[in-house]
Amino acid sequence: MKIDLVTLEIIQNALGAIADELALVIMRSAYSNIVRDSMDYSTAVFDHKGQTIAQGLTTPVHLGSFPDAMQKMTSLYEGNIFPGDIFIFNDPYGSGGMHLPDFYIIKPVFVNETLEGFVGTLAHQSDVGGIAPGGMGVYASEIYQEGLRIPTLKLFDAGVPNDAIFRLIEKNTREPVNVMGDMRAQLAACNNGGQALQALIESHGVKKFRLYMEELHDYAERLIRAEISELPDGTFYFEDCLDGMGEDPETIWLKVNLTIAGDQVLIDWAGTSDQVNYAINATFPTTNAMSYLAVRCAIGGSIPNCEGYMRAITATAPVGSLVNPVEPAPCGARGITCFRMFDALLGAFAQILPDRIPAANEGGSSAPHIAGRDHNNKPFMASGGLMGAWGGSMARDGQEGISNPAANLGNTPIELMETRQPVEITKYSFVQNSGGPGRHRGGAALQRGYRLLADEAKLIMRSDRRKVKPYGLSDGLPGTPSWNIINHGSEQKLLPVCPTASVPMVKGDEFIHIQAGAGGFGDPLEREPEKIVVDVLNELITPAYANDVYGVVINEGEIDLGATEIKRRELKQTGIYETAYMAHFYDEIGIKPI
Amino acid sequence: MQSSSKRYYRVGIDIGGTFTDIVLLDQDGNILTKKISSTPDDYGRAISQGMKSVLEENGIDPSEVEEVVHATTVATNAVLEGKGAKTALITTEGFRDILEFRRVRVPELYNLDYVKPKPLVPRQLRLEVKERIGAKGQIRTALDESSVRAAAQRIIDTDVQAVAVCLLHSYTNPVHEQGIKDILSKMLPPHIFVCYSHEVLPEIREYERTSTTVVNAFLGPVMNSYLTNLKQRLEETGIQKSFHVMQSAGGRMSLDAAIAKPAYLVESGPAAGVIAAAHIARKAGMLEVITLDIGGTTAKTAIVENGEPTRTSEYEIGAGINISSKLVKGAGYAIKLPFIDVSEIGAGGGSHIRFDKGGLLKVGPESAASVPGPVCYDTGGETATLTDAILALGYLNPGHLVGGALTLNAEKAVKAIEEQVCTILDKPLPEAALGVFNVAVANMVRAVKSVSTYRGRDPRDYALIAFGGNGPIVATAIAHELGMKQVLVPPNPGVLSSHGLLVADNTHELVKSFSGLTNEIEINDVRRIFDDLAGKAIDALIEEGFERGKTSVQNLADLRYAGQAFELTVPLDNDGEPIECEQMASAFHDEHFRTYSHKAEHEPVEIVNLRVIAKVAVNDIEPPLTETKAAAPKKPKIRQAYFGASSGSQETPIVGRSDLVGIEMTGPVIVEEYDSTIVVPPEWTVSVDAANNVLISRKSDGPHEN
Repeated sequence: MKIDLVTLEIIQNALGAIADELALVIMRSAYSNIVRDSMDYSTAVFDHKGQTIAQGLTTPVHLGSFPDAMQKMTSLYEGNIFPGDIFIFNDPYGSGGMHLPDFYIIKPVFVNETLEGFVGTLAHQSDVGGIAPGGMGVYASEIYQEGLRIPTLKLFDAGVPNDAIFRLIEKNTREPVNVMGDMRAQLAACNNGGQALQALIESHGVKKFRLYMEELHDYAERLIRAEISELPDGTFYFEDCLDGMGEDPETIWLKVNLTIAGDQVLIDWAGTSDQVNYAINATFPTTNAMSYLAVRCAIGGSIPNCEGYMRAITATAPVGSLVNPVEPAPCGARGITCFRMFDALLGAFAQILPDRIPAANEGGSSAPHIAGRDHNNKPFMASGGLMGAWGGSMARDGQEGISNPAANLGNTPIELMETRQPVEITKYSFVQNSGGPGRHRGGAALQRGYRLLADEAKLIMRSDRRKVKPYGLSDGLPGTPSWNIINHGSEQKLLPVCPTASVPMVKGDEFIHIQAGAGGFGDPLEREPEKIVVDVLNELITPAYANDVYGVVINEGEIDLGATEIKRRELKQTGIYETAYMAHFYDEIGIKPI
Repeated sequence: MQSSSKRYYRVGIDIGGTFTDIVLLDQDGNILTKKISSTPDDYGRAISQGMKSVLEENGIDPSEVEEVVHATTVATNAVLEGKGAKTALITTEGFRDILEFRRVRVPELYNLDYVKPKPLVPRQLRLEVKERIGAKGQIRTALDESSVRAAAQRIIDTDVQAVAVCLLHSYTNPVHEQGIKDILSKMLPPHIFVCYSHEVLPEIREYERTSTTVVNAFLGPVMNSYLTNLKQRLEETGIQKSFHVMQSAGGRMSLDAAIAKPAYLVESGPAAGVIAAAHIARKAGMLEVITLDIGGTTAKTAIVENGEPTRTSEYEIGAGINISSKLVKGAGYAIKLPFIDVSEIGAGGGSHIRFDKGGLLKVGPESAASVPGPVCYDTGGETATLTDAILALGYLNPGHLVGGALTLNAEKAVKAIEEQVCTILDKPLPEAALGVFNVAVANMVRAVKSVSTYRGRDPRDYALIAFGGNGPIVATAIAHELGMKQVLVPPNPGVLSSHGLLVADNTHELVKSFSGLTNEIEINDVRRIFDDLAGKAIDALIEEGFERGKTSVQNLADLRYAGQAFELTVPLDNDGEPIECEQMASAFHDEHFRTYSHKAEHEPVEIVNLRVIAKVAVNDIEPPLTETKAAAPKKPKIRQAYFGASSGSQETPIVGRSDLVGIEMTGPVIVEEYDSTIVVPPEWTVSVDAANNVLISRKSDGPHEN
């Protein structure tokens, strides 16, 4: 049978429609804010071998994680998959998951009694038990503390629900209504999408469909290899890091060698720090996912979301390292390591593509959880990832108030949060005099305050980028650091960037998170004065900052060109602007760094 | 049919980016149409000139014009082009960046060059006032009037023309917004347009409410001067009668209401098309239909159930063309008001044909639009388009379109397809052109699916009603793909939207947030709110000059499972009986099952909003019925047209709509009309009904049966 490119395009379009339909059913019928508003979930369609053939437009971090998980599932259950089966798992070790809150629910699709494909969904559940509400406490030291581990099991066996699994899950979460509701949404999506995939395969015939899926993988591979071939060969090194854990943090390194060899990309994490006894370890499927993501962001172009393109990308990492840990390393808060892998990879790509890659973004979502029991002894949890700011690039200033490209999560409406949880948001805004200066400045940092209205609660916080700030590029300066503050009456307490224990809060306490501002691009003294005036008018920077950092002198709204020239020459010589911006930042947020 | 003694006309005017369509409907239901080029520098000019000439040409006295109903793209364009008023926002202290944070998420993956839409109010004009209302409506911090006065002074000093006021939790307690209103109404000069979120959209979710209020303010001054000016111009031509404007939700509103709430107008044109299609289908006895409107750059679809178009309040203006727009938000400016739920993708006649780096054939979303146009227009377009492929297939008249007004260069089109498509696909002309056609159809199928299968609806249970210049060309191919059995093409398919303006009801919709579980609330609270909303909505219609006796009211509720994050809007028809709690819950369980194929009947159902739509049905005129006597047999023209490998190239009769009266023909047949072409492939039959609709039916079952 000859491949007809028109038919291939039509089938690809139909597969995309199925993946979108899966995603839409989940979004609209899910319960938790994490799924509905943050959209922390993903969907995919697979061929009979379990290889991804389409993905919904959802969360980039997730999308590259399906191949490892599907391969484990199909080999584990080879010859033992039947119509009406539905699989579930979340275990990072053995099942190919990423962290315990991510539930994978996968349904095989049969045509004439033979297995012809799968549809799959992955949703971040709001709680799976364990040491910390929300499943992202960094202070777990083994995966056994992180909640319910589900190996690859049949949630439905030939159409019959396995009640034991449902009941076990229900008993092992602090949020049974949300979790059972979100699982129902995942199941509904699988059932709808499964029917659609079956109809599609039937309309083309099994033999033809399989042939076209082979071609789809080859086509995606051709596309990505063509793009990679256009890059110069060579090995490019970059290192970035996490501040570390607790009161006295020890730097955790992410070191990467990115090699372009013809039409192949090799990514090697040798030299990266060893796995740690905190929940930030990223299992290897996660590391693969970040590799695919970074390559796709760097090279651009529209490539179908199918597994074929991944053949051109190979990642390796030392066993026992932070990015290839062994059991029982905990991994609940692995997201922060994902973000830093992404930053390190982009830093390496920036050496190849200086005109396309921006300076470092805010460093990934900050994840506060404020949890406790309300006056009726009902558990509550106020959560929701905070983002973000992009770094400056050759083309433009970094934007503020925008999701990290690696996560692309939404924010939770404040009014909904306050209606459901005993917290009051005290502010949600950009921070003046934040972000890295540059010809194109980094995006401004965000700040959010939470006042506790219940008697008491625990704060669990995951953030980073205080000691080591988001990097600048091409003489742009690094971004501004992140801070965690608790105001207890008139008393101010500064928390570590990533506390290794939950922090008690009492009624009336205000928790403020100031996120890192993004890195700048290019020499700040070359920034167009007109742009600086706009930043001053918009109260993103103060006139004093314009003067001390950019050397732009503004008198009554007008730029004093002569004075500006003199000031810029002076700054160039002394270089004091490189530290002045930090002083202005600390003045603005009103704390003194330790 | 007996003629009324007095002659009068009702006029529908639809401005699009390219054309302005005028439709006149007389007292007996006869239709006159006029299509003229739009004048984007001053849209009103084309209208007044067009009106003048259509009245003159047909010997109509302006005094015979009973009413004018208008749909416009002016509001949409003002937002897209950033040409609204200089606008300020007054908001709660600590929250001025809500507008710019948006929902943070971006609509494109893997794109480090993505730039999010610029906020309609720059940060320097987002002014904070000291106040805070809590989630239960309690006052946490009293309104500091001096901070309001400072903001007002800043507005006066900076030459701002419009102000949006949106405070946290004002949907549950508007007292602080009202306090601001007291101060602003004293301090600001009257020409400054001010609107308040508790009046525009009293609903929870601060970003969506802020954004909606801001869009409304941004459009306020622009739409005020546009609509006032237009009314004046029409009066100058001698038209003195009532002037109404179409809303995005498909109802009509008075000029004054439109000036106060211009955010309700942004998708008025597409809404009118769906309303007309639903109306015509209803008359033809079809209550379940999917509408398909294809022009030069986009294909738009909507679903009609029980005769009513379905609606949504998840809309973004300027979100571009994206089938997944409901999934991937953030590309435009959120407006959380009722809209007819129209799905749109970038595939139309002008869509470019190209090959990507991996060698796959793509059609759209880039488009040749009307300038430079498809290659066959011979007006400078060089990239082959879908229209060129359709011409090469023999479906279009190779000489001209629009009744001869647009001449075509078929030779050029064929050459473009041969050079740009045949050589790469290594296929002969008709096969290559059909490949292009099928890829475009596959894109359009996705738009139909997004309003049907994505929402748990099986398209095989619906008829397809096709309009727009290109809808009737591809309709049968789309129906075939989805297993749909019947296609209807209404009369004047190219100007259907303007027709829709004349058959839409006058409506007034009100909503109120209400929080509680159906098994815990006091039902009388709900009934009282419904009564209160209904009273206000009816009063608004009476104020517009309608009689109380002609109004009717529909109650709806936005419901969800307790804990669920997304609501479904469920109509609560109860034949005039008081609404009961169990009735609300069971209506929700049914709708949830229908939409998502699962339900949880043991779980409590939560009320989020209560809605009321008051309407006055438009004066309905039956169009004159066509004589059903068979037309005198005449020998039709013949053209070669290609229908795929199995059918091959066939000698295809070319007929007019009137040639089909009283007979049934079997495809292949092509029906050529002034503003459209209808393709009837083999295996389909075609006829005309008494209302002059073309009906196309499938003889045998197609693919995708399951």
